[in-house]
Parts: sequence; C-alpha cells; structure tokens
Amino acid sequence: MEGNVKEKRPKFCVNDHVDILMEILKRLDGRSLCVSACVCRLWCTIARNDSLWEHLCFRHASPPPSSGVRPVIVALGGYKRLYMVCVRPVLSRLGRLRIAGDSDRARKVWTRDGVQLSLSLFCVDYYERLGRLGGGGDASGGSSLMFLCKPVNV
Amino acid sequence: MKRDHQETIGKKAESSSSSVDTGKGKSWFEDDQDAGGGMDELLAVLGYKIKSSDMADVAQKLEQLEMVLGSEDGISHLASDTVHYNPSDLSGWVQSMLSECNNLPSTDLDSSFLLSSNRDSLLGQPPAITSLDFSSNSHSKVFTDDSEYDLRAIPGVAAFPQQEFDRSNDRKRMKLTPIGSNIAPAPSANSLQSPTASSTSSSSPQAMAVSGTLSEPTRPIVLIDSQETGVRLVHTLLACAKETQEENLELADALVKRIGLLAASQTGAMRKVATYFAEALARRIYKISPQDYRLDSSCLDTLEMHFYETCPYLKFAHFTANQAILEAFANASRVHVIDFGLKQGMQWPALIQALALRPGGPPAFRLTGIGPPQPDNTDALQQVGWKLAQLARTIGVEFEFRGFVANSLADLDAEMLGLLPPEVEAVAVNSVFELHRLLGRPGGIDKVLGCIKAMRPKIVTVVEQEANHNSPVFLDRFTEALHYYSSLFDSLEGSGLTPRSQDLLMSELYLGRHICNVVACEGADRVERHETLAQWRTRLDSAGFDPVHLGSNAFKQASMLLALFAGGDGYRVEENNGCLMLGWHTRPLIATSAWQLAAGDSQQ
Repeated sequence: MEGNVKEKRPKFCVNDHVDILMEILKRLDGRSLCVSACVCRLWCTIARNDSLWEHLCFRHASPPPSSGVRPVIVALGGYKRLYMVCVRPVLSRLGRLRIAGDSDRARKVWTRDGVQLSLSLFCVDYYERLGRLGGGGDASGGSSLMFLCKPVNV
Repeated sequence: MKRDHQETIGKKAESSSSSVDTGKGKSWFEDDQDAGGGMDELLAVLGYKIKSSDMADVAQKLEQLEMVLGSEDGISHLASDTVHYNPSDLSGWVQSMLSECNNLPSTDLDSSFLLSSNRDSLLGQPPAITSLDFSSNSHSKVFTDDSEYDLRAIPGVAAFPQQEFDRSNDRKRMKLTPIGSNIAPAPSANSLQSPTASSTSSSSPQAMAVSGTLSEPTRPIVLIDSQETGVRLVHTLLACAKETQEENLELADALVKRIGLLAASQTGAMRKVATYFAEALARRIYKISPQDYRLDSSCLDTLEMHFYETCPYLKFAHFTANQAILEAFANASRVHVIDFGLKQGMQWPALIQALALRPGGPPAFRLTGIGPPQPDNTDALQQVGWKLAQLARTIGVEFEFRGFVANSLADLDAEMLGLLPPEVEAVAVNSVFELHRLLGRPGGIDKVLGCIKAMRPKIVTVVEQEANHNSPVFLDRFTEALHYYSSLFDSLEGSGLTPRSQDLLMSELYLGRHICNVVACEGADRVERHETLAQWRTRLDSAGFDPVHLGSNAFKQASMLLALFAGGDGYRVEENNGCLMLGWHTRPLIATSAWQLAAGDSQQ
C-alpha cells in the first residue's frame, strides 16, 4: 500500500500552472496575499498582477461596481494601491463597528456607498500626491486653463 | 455683629485669668471717671480700654480674628490657651492673639494688612507681598483697592470668596495664603489663589505684561481640585469678558492673568481653549490687533490643510456638498461649478471622480475658482487649476478652469463669470465657510445673494459653522464662542492623534486664529461672523431661495466617513429638515444646506 502511494506521487507543481495559482491567490485575503508575495520570485510577480487586487477589493461589494470603474482606478494608481490606501482601512474600520451578530459575513459585504467613498478618498489621495510632486513647470497640459482675470473695482 | 464679637471675647477673657475680674472692675470705675482720657465710652462700660482713635483698627483686627478662629480648625484653642497680659487692653489682646496665629507654621497673615511698624515687627514676617504695603506706594493702593473691591463684586465664589461681614470701602480684607498647609484646608483659605495673581498685577501697574506665570516660586499655590478649578476657569473667563465689555480694563487685565494661572492647572482641550481665549481677550484689552488676516493667506492654507487631515469637518462639508451637486447635475451634459473659496481645491477631485463614474458618462466640467489676492503675487489659483486639470485628464473628464482674484465676494458680478445660458450648462454655486465673512460689510451679503441669483444656478450649496458668533453684544458672542470652540477642541483631542503631532498643533493654530478674530477684532476686521443654520435659512429664504433636501445618500456617505475617523463614535450626523449637521456628541458644529432658486424666480 505504501509503496503504491509512493509510486503514484504526482509530479504536480503548482508553479507550472500559473492560472490555477492565480485562482487560488484570488481567494486570499489581503494579508495572506501580501505574505504570498514574499514566497518566491514567481509568486511575487504574480501577486503584482492588478486583477488579483481588483478581485480582492470588490469581492464582497454588493452590488459590484461597474466596468467603467477600472480605467479610472488604473489611472489613479491601480487596485493594489487602492486596496492599501483606501479599501483596507475603510473595511477594517467599518468592520469594527459591526460587532454583534454574524460579524464575519457582515464585515465583508459592503455597499455602493462604501465603494464610492473609497474611490473618492483614493482620488483625493492622488490629488494630494500631485501636489507633493510640486507645481510643475509644464504648462503644455494647461491648455484648459484660461488666463486669470482680475476684477477692476475695489 | 461687633457686639457679638465683644461679648464672646469678653467671655473668653473672663475664663483666662482671674485677675481680669478685678481688673475689669477697677477699670470700670476708672474709666467712668476717666472718660475724658479719649477712651471709647461704650466699651469702657464693658471694661475695655480702647482709644477712640484706635477703634477702627481694633474692629478690623477683631474681624481678622473672628475669621481665623471661626474658620481654621485647631486654632480655636487659642481662645483659651493664649496668655493675655492685659485683657482690658482689647487692642493689645487681639494683637497677641493674632501673633499667636501667625506663629503657627501653616498660616500666614498678609503683612500688608497691618498699618503700623509695631505690628510688622510683631509678626516677624518678611513682607513678601511688598507691593501691597500701603505705606509705600499710594498708586498701588488705589490700584489694588479697585481690583479687590471689584473682584468681590463679581457674583459667585469663583472670583473671590464671599466674606461674611460687612466692609467699608477703604479697608483691605485679610487673606490667608496657605504655604504648604498641612492642616485641613478651610474653605475660605483654599480658594484664595488671588494674592499672588493680584500681587503680580499690582506690582506692575504700568507694565501690563500678559504673563500669567507664577512669579514667586516661594509661594506655591495649593490647588485642591482640578474640576473645581476648571469651573473656576470658566467663571473667570466669563467674568473677564464681562469686564472687558464694560471697559473696566484694569480689572480685566488682572483677570486675564488669573486665567493664565488657572489654565496651567488644566490639561488637554480645556487648557488650550482657555489659553487661546485668554490671548484673544488680552489682545482685545490692550488693543493689539492681530496680524492682518489677509497677509498670511498662504499660511492659513497650510494650517487649513492640516485641519483637513486631522478631523472630518472639512471632509464632511465637501462630501455632502458634492453629493448635492452631483444629484443636481444628474442629467446635464455640461456643468459649471463656481467655488467661492477655492483654497487648495480639495473638494473637487472627489466630484470629478464621481462625475467620471456617472452612469451616462462624464459631462464637460467647468470650474471657476475665486480666491483672495496673494501677498507675493504668486498665482495660487492657477496652480490649483493646473493640478485639477491633470487629475481630470487622467480620469478622462473634459475639464476647464478659470480663476478669479477678489478681495471680497461682494466685488463680483455675474457677467464677469462668462456664464452660458442654463439650457446649455447647469450651474452650481458652492460656498464652504465663505458667506459669513460678508456679514461685516453692510449690504455685502445681499449683493452676493443677488449676484448668485443672477447666475441662475441649479443648486447652491452652503456650509457654515453652526453657532451664533455675530451677536452685537460682546459677552454673548464670547460665551457662545467659548462653548463652540470647547466642543471643537474636545473633538480634536478625541481624534486619537498623539498629543504633540504636527497635524494636531496646526489644526489648533488654525482654530486659534478664528478665536482671535471672533474675540479680539471689531468692525470690518471681524470676518468670522458665524451664524446658525436657522439664521441662514431665514436669510436665504427672504432672498428668494428654496431649500433642497439633501438625500439619504449624502447622509449615509457622511456617516460612513465619520466612522473612519479614530474618534468616530463621538461624531454625530444629524438631519435637520433636509440639512445635514455634523456635531461632536450633542453639539452640532457645522451645517450643510442646499438651495435652489425659488419657483417664481427661475422663470426669468
């Protein structure tokens, strides 16, 4: 019997099957996902894949955000950043409030308002980062800026 | 009451020495015959030899003694234990009693009380409060008399504890200053922190320095109860404001210094609030005007950024106003927002992003920002506009920006803004903490409201502080402001930031400037003329606007936003007839409301 088991040991290595690996990693929570990124180089590369984080961010959002959200989020810095900067703190703090009852479930489901709030905060974060990089001397993108008028009367 | 004194003392005197009786008897007869020797006749009947000229002094000392005997536990034994050598000499007897009191390690008599050098040597106390010595400086005598008298006039035990007996104006009252007292503190003794405070004030009548620190480290003040001193602090603040209003500036000055001392005994929010208010009161008393509000508008922006980060008030304001604007812009393809106070433009990224994710796709978004002139002529508005343009381009929203520099909103006209007709573009006017500044100029607010109406906006969002800091009576304003800013500082404390973080400090400075403006400035300088939601409602109603109810979306977003903040359970969102108010515990602090043109006007 034991000999049979030894002979039938599969030569399956999950690293050869990245898509399965992705499917597994998709189901992890944020902390585990970060930990898994430290396992090896392959896993690190895979964990950087934004779709994983997208899944993580809005997995429990009901209703799920529309597809138009993605380009915006990507432009503002990507899902991983969204998770780190906004979603994780929002979820954890809101989750703290719902202690009674079925806490596990309640914590994970969050509404459109929560999604919207996270996105707004993410946008504000991007804007503040713009500010930190300095005003910038590049005026070529400022064609939308009209010249400032100063009113005459006192 | 004086008679009672004499009777009790008479009894005590009787018990002390048997020789008294005979002495008394003798003196009675002696006095009868000796009436012309200047002795008081009435007392002579009772057996006491007191010169008429000394009467006042003796009465005074008797009062001192009564206070000492009546109030201090453990001294009443003096009545029977003190050795009196000549009881009929009432003055000397009382004096010896007093010197006995004085030799106790725990109590000390105010040396200034005693007018002759004879007594000073008996007391053997170095006159530590030299400035209160009447013989030296008549100016300070007048000064302290006024302040002492008036301090008593303030009702309640806060400013000066009530004495039981009657007084004449030109007598100073005795004060006991406990020096590390190890006896049970008497009620009258422990509340007397006044000596050091008033002594510092009287010692420098000309040098009106606002230093509330203990100038004499050898006289530690025993503060018994921090809560009690907290109450006292509030009372003193209010008393000082009242005196300032009535132009009793010397008294107000003394009180301001007292506030400084009392504030040192508090911790946390109360201490900071008291300090800022004391500083503002001092500025008002000495007529030092604060720095020109407009000169350091860039500093103000920095402070405001920190305030934005630290606590949810500004974020709440922005998010609720944005929600109202978003709902008003539901179907428009071109939108135009006019922001009365652009500052750093922190409100607009969230709106741009929300417009980008709108179900029907983003509209063309135009923003007009209005700001004050910068002292160094940098174009702050243009910088902000550039950043917003970059953001909009990143997200994919068509964006246009225009900035206007204006000293006051009343300088604006609707034509300047280059508005397109309402069929083409939907206009929203947004004012966050800007409208109240116009109340200082007569006709200012009406002109601006008229201007807004001329813009024919789809929606007007107004966020203002929920407090009445615009009452014509200074004391009312002061009291309101004290309560309002106490709540505000409380909420900062509760925000969970480490005590000396830079953000917290900057936020406090930001609020401190507002406090200074409300309390110390007058006329056109006083720009922080906050009014309550009810007052704004009346004003906007009569100007021709109808209220728009903020939806439950705004409420939910606001609640969620507040839950994110560390002190989240202290903040409360309330809905008030369609307006949203954010408050700390039970006190609403800011209110967001939305308005549209009244039905009749929109047809023009």
